[in-house]
Parts: sequence; structure tokens; C-alpha cells
Amino acid sequence: MSATAAPAWRELDIDKLFLGFCLFVPLTALTIFFAYPLLTVVTRSLTEADGGIGIGNYIRILNAPSFWRATVNSLVMSLSTTAAVLMCGLVVAYAVHRCKVPGRALLLGAVSLPLLAPSLVQGLGLIFLLGRNGIVTKTTGLDINIYGFWGLLIANGLYALPQAVLIIGAALRAADARIYEAAEILGTSGFRKFVDITLPNIKFGLLSAGFIVFTVTITDFGNAATIGGDYAILATEIYNQVVGQMNFNLGAVVGILLLLPTILSFYLERVASQRQFGSVSDSAVPLVPTFTPKRDVPMTLAAWLVALLPVVTVAIVIYGSFVWLWPYRFDLTLKHYAVKVAGGYDPLWTTVQISIVAGVIGSLMLFALGFSLQRLPRHIVKPIYFLCLLPAAVPGLVLGLAYIFAFNVPGLPVYALYGTATLLAICNVTHYWTQGFLTTMTGLRQVPPTLEESAACLGASLPRLVRDVIVPSMAPTLVSVFFFMFMRSMVTLSAVIFLITASVSVASVSIMRLDEAGFTSQAAAYATCTMGIVVVASVLMRACLWALKRKQ
Amino acid sequence: MKLHLQNITKEFGPVVALDDVSFSAEAPEFICLLGPSGCGKTTLLRLIAGLSMPDRGQLRLDGEDLTRIPARDRGFGIVFQAYSLFPNMTVAQNIGYGLKIRGRPTAEIKERVGQLLDLIRLPHLADRYPYQLSGGQQQRVALARAVAVDPKLLLLDEPLSALDAKVRTELRAEIRELQQRLGILTIMVTHDQEEALLLADRVVCMQHGKIAQVGTPGELYATPVNRFVADFMGVSNLMEQSTIRQWASHLLNGHTPPADYIACIRPEDITLRPGATGARVRQVHFLGNLSRIELDWPGGKLVAEEAGRTSLVPGAEVGIDIAPHRCAWVAPQ
Repeated sequence: MSATAAPAWRELDIDKLFLGFCLFVPLTALTIFFAYPLLTVVTRSLTEADGGIGIGNYIRILNAPSFWRATVNSLVMSLSTTAAVLMCGLVVAYAVHRCKVPGRALLLGAVSLPLLAPSLVQGLGLIFLLGRNGIVTKTTGLDINIYGFWGLLIANGLYALPQAVLIIGAALRAADARIYEAAEILGTSGFRKFVDITLPNIKFGLLSAGFIVFTVTITDFGNAATIGGDYAILATEIYNQVVGQMNFNLGAVVGILLLLPTILSFYLERVASQRQFGSVSDSAVPLVPTFTPKRDVPMTLAAWLVALLPVVTVAIVIYGSFVWLWPYRFDLTLKHYAVKVAGGYDPLWTTVQISIVAGVIGSLMLFALGFSLQRLPRHIVKPIYFLCLLPAAVPGLVLGLAYIFAFNVPGLPVYALYGTATLLAICNVTHYWTQGFLTTMTGLRQVPPTLEESAACLGASLPRLVRDVIVPSMAPTLVSVFFFMFMRSMVTLSAVIFLITASVSVASVSIMRLDEAGFTSQAAAYATCTMGIVVVASVLMRACLWALKRKQ
Repeated sequence: MKLHLQNITKEFGPVVALDDVSFSAEAPEFICLLGPSGCGKTTLLRLIAGLSMPDRGQLRLDGEDLTRIPARDRGFGIVFQAYSLFPNMTVAQNIGYGLKIRGRPTAEIKERVGQLLDLIRLPHLADRYPYQLSGGQQQRVALARAVAVDPKLLLLDEPLSALDAKVRTELRAEIRELQQRLGILTIMVTHDQEEALLLADRVVCMQHGKIAQVGTPGELYATPVNRFVADFMGVSNLMEQSTIRQWASHLLNGHTPPADYIACIRPEDITLRPGATGARVRQVHFLGNLSRIELDWPGGKLVAEEAGRTSLVPGAEVGIDIAPHRCAWVAPQ
């Protein structure tokens, strides 16, 4: 007996240790850098001015008319944006996936443009177009007050559109041609097919997209900072409480109150997206649209009209960065690229470093966690899975605030991280944890369990299995997660705004500062540089994915 | 090499997947675990492989207790229905992977892989990737990968189910040939009784997590122990004893089966006499190599078979003969 027990214990050691390590490290990190900071927001919101515990802060905030104005504004703006984006998103996604329109890839690329830039860019673009010195304002003489509700609606709409198109597109893609053929044979008209088959089939996709757009919009800070004007919303309210009035505890209260709609919205999104999957069988026959002029000509026009807006906004920012004096002197110049902001381009290089670190940490942690979760019993996995979904529901501003509370505490060992670029990278990983986690899990699920069992029967230990089988077969997912973390870290503003210091700052903050100081053209120049790096990253990602695909 | 399973029990929550299963097998036997889906045959194979652990019971190989040894230390070969080749490795790398893990020198691996490639007749595909291969080729590579490490036991989990009919027949013969050449104890899971009949030295027929019957294909076919085995192993006429007593009492001459046992008569054991009376042809199904004839008989419906085409047409009167020694008495459950 003893002879056979020995190898069992040896394997137990290697595999169990490896698995424990894969679970323990990311989980500890998530506890220290997500759960704990979030908890401090709760405790700080309950800490009163005299140091006691109570709900005094909540009473003060709930009695303040400014809070209610911001809440109503936030809700009105987010709901309007959601409605508008759903309509436009459906048009674009339907045109791309269900109609025969020219330039489908171009169309998708056009609406995805805002993802490559800090959310401030939409605001900047609108200012160049419709602001006080906007080109439209000056040429037509119209006084469109873009600063406020409408500006926010358009800017946030542009920012959320790509995600809506992505989700609705996925719902539209999951279609079985045979259902439509059956309807055709029953004599159903094109419009009836849309109403009776398409809409019911994508309703959960639409819902899911709606909740995502709502969450993105209500929590965004960049656009509110550039183009919000006097239109106060909850995100700016937090910023003003904390940065303007140094009311950290009141900021925490607003943060908690902002969490409520986002968590609710996020929960509903999860429910909706789970319903969406499972409605199409594996054996579905893909739908290939044929050219129908009555449908495709108007759809082409409508989709390109929608897609033109992000193209124009981004293009005008790039163009504006080269123009001598907008909108009076359109000679081209590079002078705006000599930026007059503290640190010059240093923050941009810091951002690149932060983004690389975030990409590496993020993809490694997520892979390790996902790998261990696949091998654990359900009752352990479920709460961890839930914890991993939470970060998406936490607005960046709240997360940033939480980091101040948790780490700006001299005396704690974690204080050493405060004010470092490392903490910014960690903050970004946490901020975008959920999307990365879901992508990783999808990638891992595509590695068939029998592959692993074959390797186990051939004698491979878990670390060996990871190296030889799992990592090679899901390399595209790892690459995607790395670049996702990188690109998001390059452009994010809301979480990191509270964590920057005089020496460690990021690109999007520089853009915001330049814009605040009235150097709009320099802000545009800075934004153009940032976008340039993200575009390069995006091209690199495609090259990597292409190379990996070729290899297999 | 002797495998011995003793009182193996495995539960998944309230479901008892394996209920006190015991049996033994010895090299160079080819064993088929046969049964409908959900009977526990795959669970049993996974337990033997070490991919899961039994709740109770013991698994021994040549007297050595394997029960708690994980799959990677058992040194068994396994082939799954879904091929499961490593997509990032070439055919040669796939076959040599087990040897590489064991730290064998490169030259030895190369030589062994070469031999195996010849054996599965795919030497020209050594540097291809799995996605460039057909299903049948992939499964042959999977087979070579499994036997490359000289496993003590070869486990096959429905290896032919994903293939189309012609390739399945070819590969079936190749598996049998390979197994006999290597003289390796092989256990295969299948739900296809024809496959089990063709390949197995012995069949383990499973029902609701228990072994219903173990025996050679001939034994299981000719003398099934109960209604389930009789039904699962091909087509059969199952009749209550009272019916037999009334309409074919000669079958009971010299037999005193327990009161609740039923008669099992295979269709090919019923001889039809055109022109005589006793039964009426209800329907004729032409299956190519044989014709299946459904009959109305005073004791109930009967199924008979004749080789090739039959001259009988629906509505025709026929006489039927059943040889007494061809009737098996089986338990009702």
C-alpha cells in the first residue's frame, strides 16, 4: 500500500499547490484592491464629521437640493442617451448583420472609433463643432448651447454606441436561417418577419445593451467634465465634493448612492444576457442576407449617417490639433503639440507604462483565477464568480475614491503603493476586471475538458498541462485580454483622476487639464497622440491574433 | 495484467451512477461496456481511468490498489469520442507527447513515433496539425498517442461515435487489429450493440448503474438474463409464459422456468412456412441483406427475419416453427 500511496501524495502536492496558488493570488489581490477599498467607502459614508458612526451624511446629502438636481439630471440624461443609442445601435447592427450594405467592416470600425480615445474626445469634438467657437456656430451664426444636456447626450451616446452595436450585433448574428425560410414559405412579409421573428429573438440583447449603455452613461466622468457645463450630474457631484470641497465622506455617500442604479442595472444586464444565450442551437444555419433594394438602400444611408458622427467628431479633434487658431485661422501648424501643461508628455509615457503593467497583471491574474475556478466545486466557484462580476457595477469615480480611503493611510503597509504608477495600474485592472474575466472564462471554456483529460492520462501535471495545452490553445484570448486592459488603461479617466499626483499622472488627466485651462487645441493635440498609441496597440493586437490564427 | 473492480459505487448528489459494480478482466481481453445513455458506463470508464474517484469500492491492477491514484500516475491510454488531439501540436508531437512527459530522449521518441505512424498508416501526415486531418485520421492519431507510452490498459470512450458509417467500419477493424497485435487489455464504452458484438471478447451490459450481465457476445445474445439485455442486444420477441403455454406449449417441454420468467425468441429463430396457417403477415421491411417480417399471431405480434428478399406479402397466411432449444427464458426485469 505504501508504495502506491507515495506517488499519490507527490501529485497531490504539485497539483494542489499549483491550483491553490492560482486561486489564492488573484483572490487575495481582489480582496485587497477591490473588496476592502469598497468597504472603506461604506464605512466612510457612515463616518460623521465628529468621527462618530451614523447616517448623518446621508441625511445631509438627501436634504441637499443640489443632490436631487444631480440625480434627476443623471437619470434623465442616462435614460435619454440609452433610448437614442439603442435606436442608432439597432440601425447600425441591423445594417451590418442583416442587410447587404457596402463597407460593413468600415461601418463597424467607424462606430468603434470612440473606444480608441478617452471619453473626453467626444466632448472636445463637439466643442470644435458646436461650441462657442465651434465651426458650425461661427459659420451659421446660430447660438447652440452645446454645453449641458445636449452636449452630454451626444458625447455619451457616441461613447456608448460601439458597445451597443457589439451586443445587439451578437444577438442578431445568432440567427437560424431556417426559421426565416420557414416564415418565407408561410408567406410572411419582410416587415412582419422583423416584428414577429427578429425583434422577439433579440429582445434580451436589446435589454442587455440598454443596461450597459445606461451604466456607462451614468458613471462617465470625462464627457461631463468637458461638455457638461452647468448641467450637474452625480459623477461631477462626487468630483466636486471630493476635489472641490474636500468633503470626502459626503463624496462617499454620493458614491454609494450612484452604486445603487449601476448595480441594479448591471444585475438586470446579467439576467438579460443569460437569457439571450441558449436560444440558438449549435446546428443553426447562418443567415446570409441577399440584396433587397427596398430595405438595403435606406439602411445603408441610415447606418452611414449614424457612423459619420463619431468619424466627424474624432476627425475634427485631430484636424483641430493642427490648426493655428480655431476657428479663425486654419493654417496648419504643429505648435499645439508643444503642450503647456505640467510634465508635458511625461504623463503620456507614464500611461503607456501603466497600461503595459495593467495588461500583464490583468491577463495573468485573470487566467490564473479562471483556470483554478474551472477545477473547483460549484459551491466555491459561485461566490467568487459573483465577486468577479461586481467591479463592472462600480463606477470608476467610486473606485478611485475607494482607493484614496483605503491606501492613503500612512501606517498601513499598502500606503507604500499610494501615489505610485503601480497602484494606478492595479486600479485599472480592478476597474476592468469583469470584462476581462468574462472574456477569459469564455476562452477557457473553449478548451475541451477531454483535451485536459487526455493530457492527464498521458501523465501531465497541472503546470505542464497549462504550459503545453491550455495556454497555447487559448493564446488568442490571452492576447485579447492583454490588449483590452492596455487600451482601456490608456484612455480611462474616472478611476485614476483621484489617484494622480504631481509626479505621477496620466494622459487623460492632462487632456482634461488643458481643456479646463482653455487650451482646447493643445488638449486635441494631446488626445491625438493618445489615440495614436491606442491605434498602434489595436493594430498590434490584430497582427498578433492573425499570426496566432495562422499558426493553428 | 489483470484488472479487478470490487463493489464500486459512485453517487452524484441523489443520483447513484454506479451501484456496487464488480467485475474482472485480464489481458489481452477486449471488453465492451455496453448500455443506453445514463446507464453509468462512461462513469465507470472514467473511474478506471482515474479521472474521477469512486465513493466506495476498490480498483486493483495486478493486485495493486489503484483506487486513489490520480490519472496521471496510472499510465493508461485513453481515446475520447471527440478526438481531443492537442490543437497546437503536430501529429508527431501529439503522438510523442506522453513520451516527452516521461522524459525519454528525443531520438527514442522520434523512432517510436515513426513506428506508430506506420502502424496507423499515416506517416505522410506527421507534420500536419489536427485541424488539417479528417475525423477518421484524427481518431487514428489519438489511438497512436494513447498506445505510444505502452499503457497497461487502453480505454476507449465511444471512439467511433463521431465518425460516419464507412469510416467507422474501417476504424473498428483497425482498433481490433491493433489491440490484438499489442495484446493489451482494452475497455471500450459504447451504446452500439453491433459494435460490441463485433469487437468484444466479453461484453459488460449495464443498466441503471448496475451490471446486468457479463459474457461473450454470443452468450448475451443467445441467453440474455433479463428483458433489458434481451431488448438491448438486438431484436427479440418477448412473450409471457401464459401466452407460450397456450399457443406454443412445446417450448416448455423439459423446461420449468420460474413463474414470472418470459420467453425470448430471436427473429431469425422463427421459421416461416408459406402456404401453412397459424399467423398472418402484417408488414414486410426490406433491410437489404435481410427482410424483417411483422406477423399477427394469436399470442400477439411476432417479428421474424429471412435472409435476402422474401416472397411474402402483407396479408399472406404463414405457418411458424420455433425450435425449442432456441427459446431463452429471461427474468422480467
